[in-house]
Amino acid sequence: MKRLNRDSIIAIALLVFCGVFFWASFDIRTPNYGVLKPSAWPRVIIGIMSFLSLIYLIQSLKGNPNIATAGKSDREPGFRGWVDYWRNPLWCFALFFVYLALLPILGMLIDGILFVYVLMGVLGGWDGKKPLTHAYIAVLTIGFMWSLFTFGLGVMLPSGIFMDPI
Amino acid sequence: MVVDNILAAIDVLANGHALLLMAVGVAAGLIAGAIPGFTIAMAVVLTLPFTFGMSAHLGLATMISVLVGGLSGGLMAGILTGIPGTPSSVATTFDGFPMARNGEPGLALGIGVWSSFCGGIISAVLLMTMAPQLAKIGLEFNPWGYFMLVMFALTITASLAGKNMIKGLIAGALGLLLRTVGEDEAAGMARFDFGSDALLGGFDFIAVLIGLFAFSQLLNDVRDPEKAKKSLTQRSSIQIKIEHRRAIAEILKRWTIVVRSSLIGVFTGILPGAGGSIANILAYDQTKKASKYPEKFGTGIADGIIAPESSNNAVEGGALIILMALGIPGDVTAAIMLGALLMNDVVPSPSFISDEPVLAYSIFISFFIATFMMLALQSVMLRIFVRVTKIPMYVLASIILGFCGIGVFALHNVGFDLWTLLWFGILGFTMRHFGFPLVPMILGVVLGNIAELNLARALAITPDLTPFFTRPWSLFFMIITIFSALFPMFQGHRIKEKAWTLFYLPTACFAVSLPLFMMGGVTRPALAAFLFCFGTYLLWQRKQNGWRYKA
Repeated sequence: MKRLNRDSIIAIALLVFCGVFFWASFDIRTPNYGVLKPSAWPRVIIGIMSFLSLIYLIQSLKGNPNIATAGKSDREPGFRGWVDYWRNPLWCFALFFVYLALLPILGMLIDGILFVYVLMGVLGGWDGKKPLTHAYIAVLTIGFMWSLFTFGLGVMLPSGIFMDPI
Repeated sequence: MVVDNILAAIDVLANGHALLLMAVGVAAGLIAGAIPGFTIAMAVVLTLPFTFGMSAHLGLATMISVLVGGLSGGLMAGILTGIPGTPSSVATTFDGFPMARNGEPGLALGIGVWSSFCGGIISAVLLMTMAPQLAKIGLEFNPWGYFMLVMFALTITASLAGKNMIKGLIAGALGLLLRTVGEDEAAGMARFDFGSDALLGGFDFIAVLIGLFAFSQLLNDVRDPEKAKKSLTQRSSIQIKIEHRRAIAEILKRWTIVVRSSLIGVFTGILPGAGGSIANILAYDQTKKASKYPEKFGTGIADGIIAPESSNNAVEGGALIILMALGIPGDVTAAIMLGALLMNDVVPSPSFISDEPVLAYSIFISFFIATFMMLALQSVMLRIFVRVTKIPMYVLASIILGFCGIGVFALHNVGFDLWTLLWFGILGFTMRHFGFPLVPMILGVVLGNIAELNLARALAITPDLTPFFTRPWSLFFMIITIFSALFPMFQGHRIKEKAWTLFYLPTACFAVSLPLFMMGGVTRPALAAFLFCFGTYLLWQRKQNGWRYKA
C-alpha cells in the first residue's frame, strides 16, 4: 500500500460527507403514515455511496491506474503555483460571490454590468483600449438581457437601492 | 387520431411567432455548437430561462431548435479549423478538415450539412413511429419495474461514463443524495435542511443543471490565461460557397452509409448515457471497417464526413424516444428537456404521449421543422460563425456568466437559486478536475425523486421485497443492470482473455431470456427462445474452440 495520494484524500472526504449526511438523517422526522420512512431512501443512498467510496479508497491506496485523476499538470509546485494555475477560475468564483452579495444593494442591472466588466478586465487585462471596449460590451450585453427579461418577459429582477423607484 | 394530433401540433407551431423563435433557436444552436468549448448541453440549458414565459409547446420547440442547430454547428468548426466544435463532431474532422485543406471546403461543408439533415430526418421519423409503440410497453411497468429501470439508467450511464466506473457510480449516488435535500414528496417531511429555510425547498433542478454544466464548463474554458485571451480564428472573412448539388450527389451515391450511421446514432441515443460523442466515432469506425478502401479514410473522403454527421444528428432522436416513451432521459440534453417539461408541470412517463398528445406531437414536428431550418440557415450562419470565433474566449465566458445570473434568477425570482448556481458550479468544476463524470450525477438529480416515489408506491402495495425478483419487468431490468455494471470489467478482462469472460455473453442471454419467458404472449417468449438458443450456440462454439475465443 502506498501513502495517501490525492484520490485517497477525495475518498476520505467522501466518507466524511456520507458520515455527516448519515448523522443528519437522524433529524428527519418520521410521520405515523406511509410505509417508506422519509429517512429510509437517503440512508440507502448513503450506504451505497459509503460502500463505493470505500472501494475507491482501497483502489487509490493500492495505486490502481484506472482511477488515477487528471494527468500531470504544468503548474509550479507550492501554494503560489497552485494559485497561479487556478487564478482565472478563482477570480470567477470570487467575483460571482461578490456579485451575489451585492445584488440586493446594486440590483441586477448595475451589479450585472459591473460583474461582467470587472471579470473581463481581470481575465483579459486592462491594457490599451480594453477598459473602454469592455465597458461598452458589458453595458450593451447585460443591458440587452435585462431589458429582454424586464420588458419582454415581464420578470421582476432585483432593482437594488439605487433603482428602487423605477 | 395520430393525424389529428399531428394537425393540432402543426396548428400550434405553424405561425410567425413560433417559426421565428425556432429560427433564432437554430441559429443560436449553430453558433454555440461551432464554438469549441461550448457544449450543446450548455446552449440548451441556457435557453431554458428564456422559455419560462412561453407555453410548453413553444418553449420545447425553441429548445429542440437550439439542440438541432447545435448538433450541426460542430461541423463548421471541425471542417474549417480542424478543431471540433463539440465532442459529437470529433470524427468529422478526420476527413472534413483534410478535404477542406485539399481545396474543397464548400463540398466538405455541403456533405456535412446534408448528412446532418438526413440523419436528423431519419431519427425524427423513428422518433415519431417508435416512441408511441415503446410507450405502450412502458405502460406495462409497475412501480417495481420502474424503480429498477431508473437503477439501470444510472448504472449504464456510470459504466459508459469513462474508464473508471466507481467514480461514475459515486457521481450518480451523489446526484441521488442531493436530490433528497428539502421536503420529501411523499410525506412532506424536511430532510437535510440543516436548520436553513432556504434548503427546505431543496435545490432548484435547473439552477443545479446550469451550475454543473454551463458554469463549470466556462471556468474550464478560461482556466489557461493565455488561451482565454486568444480567439479561435484570425480570419476576418470567409469566401466559401456550400456546394449543395455536388454534396447531394455524393450522399445519394452512399445512401447505405447514411442509413447505417443514422441507425447507429438512434440506437446509441436510446442507451442512457451514450451520446453523440460515442455515436460519431462508432459510425466512422463501422464505415471504415465496411469500406472497400479503408486506407483512404483520413485523407479527405466523403464517406468519412457522411458517417459521423448523420450519426450525431440521429442521436437526439434516440434520446427523445426514451424520454417521451418512458420518462427516462437518454442524455444530458434530454435531461434538460425533462426539466423544461417539469417547469410546465408536465411529468414525462409512459402515459405522457397519450395524456399530452398535442405537446408530444409538437416535439416530433418541431424536430422536423428545426432540421429543415438548419439546412436553410447553415450558409447564413457560416458568416456569423467567422465573426463570433474572432471574439476571445474570456469575453464570451464573462458575458455568458452574466447571462447565467440573470437567467437563473428569472426562473423563480429566488435569490437562493443564484447561490445554488455558484455552489454547483464549484462542485461541477471540482468534479471535472478530479475525473468524476457529470452525466451520472445529473441523471441522479433528475431521476432521484422518480426512483423514490416508485419505491414508496411499491412498498405501499406490499412491504414484501420479493416482487422485485418475481415481476418480469423488474427482474428484466435487474438482470441488465447487473450485466451492464459488469460490462467495463468484462471489456478489460476480455482483452486479457480471462476465462470467465467466455461465459459473460451466454450467461447474459440465458438470464435475460427468463423474464422474457415470464412476460407471456407470443413475441417475447419467442425472443426469449431465440436468446436461449443463441447463448447455447455461443457456449457450444467456445467449447469447440477449446474454451477460447478463437481456435
